[in-house]
Amino acid sequence: MGLRFKILLGFLILALMLFIAGVWSIYELNSIGSSVPKMLNENYQSIHAGKKMIESLEREDSAILMLLLGKWDEGRSLLQTADSLFNKNFEFAYSNITIPGEQNQLDTIKSRYESYKTLWQRPIVGTQKEGSIEWYFQSIHNSFLSVKSSLEDLIELNDKTMYQMASNLDKRSNRAIMPGIVAVISALVFTLIFNFLVNYFVVGPIIKITGRIKKFKENRTPFDVPIETRDELFYLSNEISDLCTLVGSKDRE
Amino acid sequence: MRFHIVLRYIAFALIFNSLFMIISSIISLIYSDDAFMPLLYSGLVTALFGIFPLVFVPATSTITNKEGHLIAVSSWLVSCLVGMLPYLMWGDPFTITNAWFETVSGFTTTGSSIVSDVEVLPHGLLFWRASTHWIGGIGIIIFVLSVLPFLGIAEIVLYRSEISSMARENFHYRAGKAIRIIAGVYGGLTLLETIALILCGMKIFDAITHAFATIATGGFSTKNASIAYFKNPTIEVVIIIFMILSGIHFATLFSVISGHVREFWKSNVVRYYLAALLIGIIITTLNLHGDKFIHWIDAIRYASFQIISIGTSTGFATADTAVWPSLSHLVILYFALQCACSGSTSGGIKVDRILLIGKASLQNIKKLMHPDAVIPIHLDSHVVKEDVLTKSILYIVVYLVIVFLSTLFLSALGVDNLSAFSGTVAAIGNVGPGLGSVGSMATFSQIPEPGKWILSFTMLLGRLEIFAFFLLLTRAQWRKTVAY
Repeated sequence: MGLRFKILLGFLILALMLFIAGVWSIYELNSIGSSVPKMLNENYQSIHAGKKMIESLEREDSAILMLLLGKWDEGRSLLQTADSLFNKNFEFAYSNITIPGEQNQLDTIKSRYESYKTLWQRPIVGTQKEGSIEWYFQSIHNSFLSVKSSLEDLIELNDKTMYQMASNLDKRSNRAIMPGIVAVISALVFTLIFNFLVNYFVVGPIIKITGRIKKFKENRTPFDVPIETRDELFYLSNEISDLCTLVGSKDRE
Repeated sequence: MRFHIVLRYIAFALIFNSLFMIISSIISLIYSDDAFMPLLYSGLVTALFGIFPLVFVPATSTITNKEGHLIAVSSWLVSCLVGMLPYLMWGDPFTITNAWFETVSGFTTTGSSIVSDVEVLPHGLLFWRASTHWIGGIGIIIFVLSVLPFLGIAEIVLYRSEISSMARENFHYRAGKAIRIIAGVYGGLTLLETIALILCGMKIFDAITHAFATIATGGFSTKNASIAYFKNPTIEVVIIIFMILSGIHFATLFSVISGHVREFWKSNVVRYYLAALLIGIIITTLNLHGDKFIHWIDAIRYASFQIISIGTSTGFATADTAVWPSLSHLVILYFALQCACSGSTSGGIKVDRILLIGKASLQNIKKLMHPDAVIPIHLDSHVVKEDVLTKSILYIVVYLVIVFLSTLFLSALGVDNLSAFSGTVAAIGNVGPGLGSVGSMATFSQIPEPGKWILSFTMLLGRLEIFAFFLLLTRAQWRKTVAY
């Protein structure tokens, strides 16, 4: 194999190491980049919707207390606003199901909320329920807590998934960095090996050939440089050897 | 010292490692796991490092003993270095220290692990982990030599540098044939065990990886509970049989395969090896029955698996030996020090040396009675030379000194004495699990970082049979010599 090929191969290997590491790092960074908005879309928005639902649920609770106190207008108005806010966020969460188990959780919320709603949809003001704190604690409050706890479960489910995704991102960032680190260290080690071999098989023989030519020129010492490889230097050494023999025989003539 | 020649031969080892990394990446692709890129990139980098010296340095069949020696030791070290790459690229739980520990443990067939939950690792990475056992079990250079065409004198020099001195004593074949016998027996046993495990109901992937670990007497499992996970006595019996076979000198196994069954029973090393295991099992069974296991069958089952696993330096587990009584612990420690026969994939002091020391002691007693008598020591019907005996005694002494020093360092790092001592014995003997906090169902993850480096160093010392490593540190090794 020729010297040109060997040296080219050395540079090609260096380039290839860096190229593959670069491509892989770009791939990993790109997937990290696409994972962040995905995580925000899939989980953060569901968590946000869950929090909004809890907020509207608490508003509904306050509205029921107002009704119990006989404040019909304020109570009903607050209930309607909170209910529409709850429904809006519930619909959003339902259209954003991305985790296994999330669908079941939302179904539970829906059924619990519907039973909760049936409790306060019927008239309160002007009935026996008005001012009945016992009725509130026995029916309304328990139902309220049940919906709230299922909403908290939904938030927790999304929270856990978000944490897992963040941990995966940490792993992926390591995988994006590692090829670069490995490529740099490998390139350094490879450069040392490359330098050693070029020195041994190229520079060394050139120095030897130069020294022998010099000796031949000065006192006609026979040119004899053994070259281990079968490359350009080997042929050069042979040609110089032939030339020296020719010059030597001319001298003797 | 011609470093370019050394580089050329190390390149072969690199190419072989890269081949297994690429096979692992294909497995990763088949199972669609995340380890594909880490394995592929590691394989490519390793291959590129291997290809370049092969292209640049012309082939030569003349190498000196010193060069052969450096090639053998460097191949191990370089393999461990590149073997870390897939783990490092994978990330958690593999820090630099953990990746180094796991790789050294793999190549030296120790089987100690820092991975607490091995079942979360992808199939590709688990296959690479098992491959390090399989490559290391046979010896990297022997692996290379068995596949490459005849390399002339270089093959003989490399064979002598790689194979343990004690094993060489018992190999009465020429280097080339011995290499082919080792590779043939090794490959044959692996194939047979894989088939047997599949027939016992193990999945193909688990069967291959466990066969790799058994024949190499390694001990890495793909399950957190090791062999206990399968809860299958037939699988345990198959593994027991192959652990015992892997602990026997491969030339003896070859004799049996060639139809010379009498050679097997004539060998006093094999007889001692089997008898010692049997006695160990009996003592442990008696010790375990009643207290730990109510039924005799359970006591026999768990005692035989654990004693054979430790006595062959494999390190698989079906029970937590850390909670066994102290007599059983002593039996386990004895086998962790002794291990199996030379010329096998086993580590430790080796049965041959123990037997030799025993015979030398008897010889000395006889000499006290007959001072002028010439009493030769026979091992497998061959007379043992004086220098072999001296080397064996020296080996055991240095071995025990290293065990003491390593235990001392580990204790200084805060590791409890039992874990420090048994961990060191397990590391230098390439056994795997120790006792205490590094027991058969535990990992080495809680050992302090410097402790992991000490243990990986002792693993390497044990695998390279101590002197090979220290020889590299002598000035004479680096002086100029003429080619063989």
